[in-house]
Amino acid sequence: MSKIWTKNGFLSENTWGYLSDGAEYLSVADAVTASESDLAVFVEPADDVMELSDKLGDISIIAVNFPAFADGRAFSHAALLRDRPGFKGEIRAYGQVLLDQVPLMLRCGIDSFEVSDEPTIKHLEAGHVPAIEHHYQPSMNEPAKANSYSWRYMANSG
Amino acid sequence: MYRYDEFDHAFVKERVAQFRDQVERRVNGDITEAAFKPLRLMNGLYLQLHAYMLRIAVPYGTMSPVQMRKLAHIARTYDRGYGHFTTRQNIQFNWPKLSDIPDILEELASVEMHAIQTSGNCIRNVTTDQFAGAAADEIADPRPYAEILRQWSSVHPEFSFLPRKFKIAVTGAPHDRAAIQVHDIGLQLVKNEDDEIGFKVYIGGGQGRTPMIAKKVRDFLPEEDLLTYVTAIMRVYNLHGRRDNKYKARIKILVHETGLEELKSQIEAEWQHLKDTDLKLPDADIEAITKYFEKPNLPDRAEGWGQLAQWKKADAAFATWIQKNVGPHQHPDYGTVTISLKPIGGVPGDATDAQMDLVADLAEEFGHNEIRVTHEQNLVFPHVALADLEPLYRVLAANGLATGNAGLVTDIIACPGLDYCALANARSIPVAQEISNRFGDAERQKTIGELKIKISGCINACGHHHVGHIGILGVEKKGAELYQITLGGSADENTSVGQIMGPGFEPDAITDAIEKVVDTYLELRSTDDETFIETYRRLGMKPFKTALYGEKTAA
Repeated sequence: MSKIWTKNGFLSENTWGYLSDGAEYLSVADAVTASESDLAVFVEPADDVMELSDKLGDISIIAVNFPAFADGRAFSHAALLRDRPGFKGEIRAYGQVLLDQVPLMLRCGIDSFEVSDEPTIKHLEAGHVPAIEHHYQPSMNEPAKANSYSWRYMANSG
Repeated sequence: MYRYDEFDHAFVKERVAQFRDQVERRVNGDITEAAFKPLRLMNGLYLQLHAYMLRIAVPYGTMSPVQMRKLAHIARTYDRGYGHFTTRQNIQFNWPKLSDIPDILEELASVEMHAIQTSGNCIRNVTTDQFAGAAADEIADPRPYAEILRQWSSVHPEFSFLPRKFKIAVTGAPHDRAAIQVHDIGLQLVKNEDDEIGFKVYIGGGQGRTPMIAKKVRDFLPEEDLLTYVTAIMRVYNLHGRRDNKYKARIKILVHETGLEELKSQIEAEWQHLKDTDLKLPDADIEAITKYFEKPNLPDRAEGWGQLAQWKKADAAFATWIQKNVGPHQHPDYGTVTISLKPIGGVPGDATDAQMDLVADLAEEFGHNEIRVTHEQNLVFPHVALADLEPLYRVLAANGLATGNAGLVTDIIACPGLDYCALANARSIPVAQEISNRFGDAERQKTIGELKIKISGCINACGHHHVGHIGILGVEKKGAELYQITLGGSADENTSVGQIMGPGFEPDAITDAIEKVVDTYLELRSTDDETFIETYRRLGMKPFKTALYGEKTAA
């Protein structure tokens, strides 16, 4: 049973449905040619997210796929979407979303998580996100610059 | 050398706590072994044939005596009284208990050490020239840049689940002692016409089952662009590197399959978006990191010149050691000293706890508190006064650490092989030991001259056999060990991949075969000064093949 988590906790309501239950998201190719707004888009690992650049105003949520926890392409997809065209909507991690990847996903700009792994749900419910607060690189979730070298940052408190 | 500030201490402490929590969740079943594996690997923990193995990072091979003593303590307390220095300038312990690992990591943290990213599909420990900051031929010290890269790559959120491992090497000298052209990214410090520091950038070098020499992508990358450009390379690789086959997942295959020009333009396009971001390095930060690597105060010690001449005259073994193991320093009264971890018949790279303690003491007494680990599995004191060489030598000699064989036929690189490693097909260490014994005579080694033998126990090539002047690759054939010989490899500024000679040799025949190759070289060399690799490059494989297999096979 999947649940949607954000850093404010698990959501009781979920506008966009569960991908694991067959919720329909547009492919990148279909999103590019869609004429509607308020779109939900699904990004596969081999997609080029930059193709969405001109459509981002019409997109509300982009789900990035981790088909296996070891497949790290979606980290770059999220970072690119946040950093380059400055996508402000929701980015959701889907697929093999495991507890120890969640802090990294947050830092790449992913802000919601469709989680099905039971131990991961249990720990997130208990407020346990195994994060490190000291960062040697910028993050996409706007951490504060550390009072140090230019590449160092601190996690947002709270 | 670099010292942790509060930020670094806090980071490593958090990382240790994070791993302790991961171990606990693994033990209580909240993490599967499959999901735990990349987490433990990114903290340096392997599961080997007989036990766990912990690989500890020695960033760019630089260590203080305090850190070396801590390694001795770990060897004594948590392992079997020895450690193994590796070709990644790291050290690994072969027999720790899983339950002790978090404690070992805490001990390491207390002396500003860790095991972060010594394994796993992430950016590994950055390596460099073991003589950095001392070598007479250096353009600039590579260590500040290696340290900046170390920091930036630590727990990188975007690049922790790459297609495969990723290795970066930096050299500050035109004579490349860091093997940068067999790394995923190789950086060579250069100066432009305006005397500004920058990098020649290479990508896509590597060994393993598909050895490839790196391709140059930039002639001059200004130093301020180091992190933005490396980020661009990493992002292109993370998105496009192959993930369908782990043997084709390194960036060298992406370079090969995409084509250099196309990949270069992808990297440049990515970099255009990154070059003016927060990752652009301010001069002040480079200067601040560089300050940590200021040379120690080295007073003039001109008396060493005369003393050295007398000592050499009086003791032939000492003279050999000076000739082979002491190199030119930026200060004329000083030298760089290689402490060989290749005693005749010994295990390449192994050191006992007592030897580690002794090296720490000697580094304080004679070595200005600096120790280096080389990718050739030796130790180095980068700053020793010529006047101190004799007393240093006496103590080293009394403790089995004064073998005068740096760069010679017995200075063999060998992977742990089937004695330890779960991946190996054949043993490496006994082969290294037998060859070392065969050529152990000091005069014979001297006659042979510079000759690098490198041994891997499987195609993953951890023993760098592809770039050995003579490479030995252990394979398994019909359940038995067999050793293939390659000739002509090199990992310096003239990098080349060795060519396979022919059919392999059984364990009891490999040393004879190597001896035959060496004897053939001695017969063929044009002068006593022509090295093995020079002779090979002049004459090619054929005469060696004929000597080993007879006329018919070689034709």
